[in-house]
Amino acid sequence: MADETETPDNKTPEQKLAALEARVLAGDAQAVDKQHGEGKLTARERIDRLVDPGSFTEEFMLAETQCTDFGMAERRQPTDGVVCGFARIDGRPVYLFAQDRTVLAGAVGSAHAEKIANGIRTARSLGMPCIGLYDSVGARIQEGLSVTAAIGEIFFENSIASGAIPQISAVMGPCIGVASYSPALTDFILMVRGTSQMFITGPPVIKEVLGEEVTMEELGGVRIHSEVSGVADLVSADDEACLAQIRELLEFLPANCNEAPPRRDTDDDPERRLDGIEELVPDDKRKPYDIVKVIRAVVDGGEFLELKRRFARNLVIGFGRLDGHPVGFVANQPMFLAGSLDVDASDKAARFIRFCDAFNIPIVTLMDVPGFFPGRQQEEQGIIRHGAKMLYAYAEATVPKITIVLRKGYGGAKQAMCTREMGADQLWLWPGVELAVMGGGGAVNVLYRREIAASDDPERTRREKMAEFNERFNGPFEALSKQFSQTAIQPADTRARLILALALLRQKKENRPAKKHGVMPV
Amino acid sequence: MATSVTAPMVGKILRIEANPGQAVEEDDVVIVMEAMKMEIPVVAPANGTVKAIHVEVGQSVEAGEDLAEIE
Repeated sequence: MADETETPDNKTPEQKLAALEARVLAGDAQAVDKQHGEGKLTARERIDRLVDPGSFTEEFMLAETQCTDFGMAERRQPTDGVVCGFARIDGRPVYLFAQDRTVLAGAVGSAHAEKIANGIRTARSLGMPCIGLYDSVGARIQEGLSVTAAIGEIFFENSIASGAIPQISAVMGPCIGVASYSPALTDFILMVRGTSQMFITGPPVIKEVLGEEVTMEELGGVRIHSEVSGVADLVSADDEACLAQIRELLEFLPANCNEAPPRRDTDDDPERRLDGIEELVPDDKRKPYDIVKVIRAVVDGGEFLELKRRFARNLVIGFGRLDGHPVGFVANQPMFLAGSLDVDASDKAARFIRFCDAFNIPIVTLMDVPGFFPGRQQEEQGIIRHGAKMLYAYAEATVPKITIVLRKGYGGAKQAMCTREMGADQLWLWPGVELAVMGGGGAVNVLYRREIAASDDPERTRREKMAEFNERFNGPFEALSKQFSQTAIQPADTRARLILALALLRQKKENRPAKKHGVMPV
Repeated sequence: MATSVTAPMVGKILRIEANPGQAVEEDDVVIVMEAMKMEIPVVAPANGTVKAIHVEVGQSVEAGEDLAEIE
């Protein structure tokens, strides 16, 4: 930095170093004010609020860009716009990096990118979660190919660390252009309403190529990514809330793929009966209900962290605890699209199932599915490919898997919600279930087409056959007789039964044939 | 700003749960459709006031069709 050379020579290196570090920590007051003016915390404030007090150890603080082109030699600054280091959250070690908008606008230069890539590699080698806080104007174009190469290194490290350590990305400002692929390669993306944007091509390029006018918020704000694209897992109102969500999420996750997820003490009785749960789930199978209320009734203390809540709302995913142990829930949501499975729901489920499997989190599946969502649009969007990945993800998963059918399961959608043959360790039925290849009406039309056609009163014959059909397939009897399910359970016993079974299943070991890796339909 | 409440899928209008002039919150049920032998609640996409209901009970609707408007 320019003023360093003006330091009188009678200062010792220790004194010079201390002064330099103090200046870096203090930051540029004007840039800090600007950041606050946008309703955002600075990178250092975010770290302070995220981690246990005094636990942050910064590294590479005095790293700078080595680029001298386009005036960068005069403009370079310590940190190069990203703060990296070790910390503890709830006493558990993590690695984290936070892009600093108050230093060179958080622009990604090669030194900046190398620090991030190194951080991810370090987290992986030490087996600790890696947390990234993103807030950057984009790549520093003055650095040319060095910067894109260094960003490529981040993508590589994100990919290699995938499944080894949990990676959490909080997008707390713009994360634009190719930089969006770094969070996209991690396990969870959190966004802040009003200040986060993610997109690959920005408004100016879109205007130039397509002639369309679009704002940054319309293109890649919270609404798009939480409701339409499915990119964001969690959304919050401000920085503080976002940092609290990171801590909440971490509480469900092990440090790495070789550890069990952390148990948390609970006052909730493991044998608690779910009085009144039947009232949450109407007997009339035409009536919708909110499956999230059922999940909250089952888990410890009613605490359920739902992910991608406003995307593919016909399927619910998230974390809860049973007797203190983290569990991943996958459930049909009858409130939306009758709880049927479509392209987006399959996508949402498959990724979550694979995350749970990678990090030893048991999966509880709550089935109430009328089928795959029908229509030409779904076929055009590739429901065959997308539905296939749900099947694949469940079959591939070797963590404990328990499926409960609450009301109904039709057709191939049953398999996509993890039946015994798809690898469920236990499949249980609530007594009122209806399980069949297809709904009564459709089935009767196919099975008794001739009889109905030949009848003097086709409508009466159809009704009679339908009644016979329903008599046969209503209730759990065929499924129990054919070993489709181990047992029927009383709805009120759901929590106690799950806790008992998951305790036994904790010793589950399942080996798969040796191979490089499967080829998941994506 | 007006926001449309659209049909999530092909189906029939079963009930109308909110009337013009009524205040609704995000995720309040505005209309109940019937499809796939299930009742399908259609919810308000944002807080606001119901400005218009474009459909009648018993009417068949296409996916994406505007059912109501919230302002």
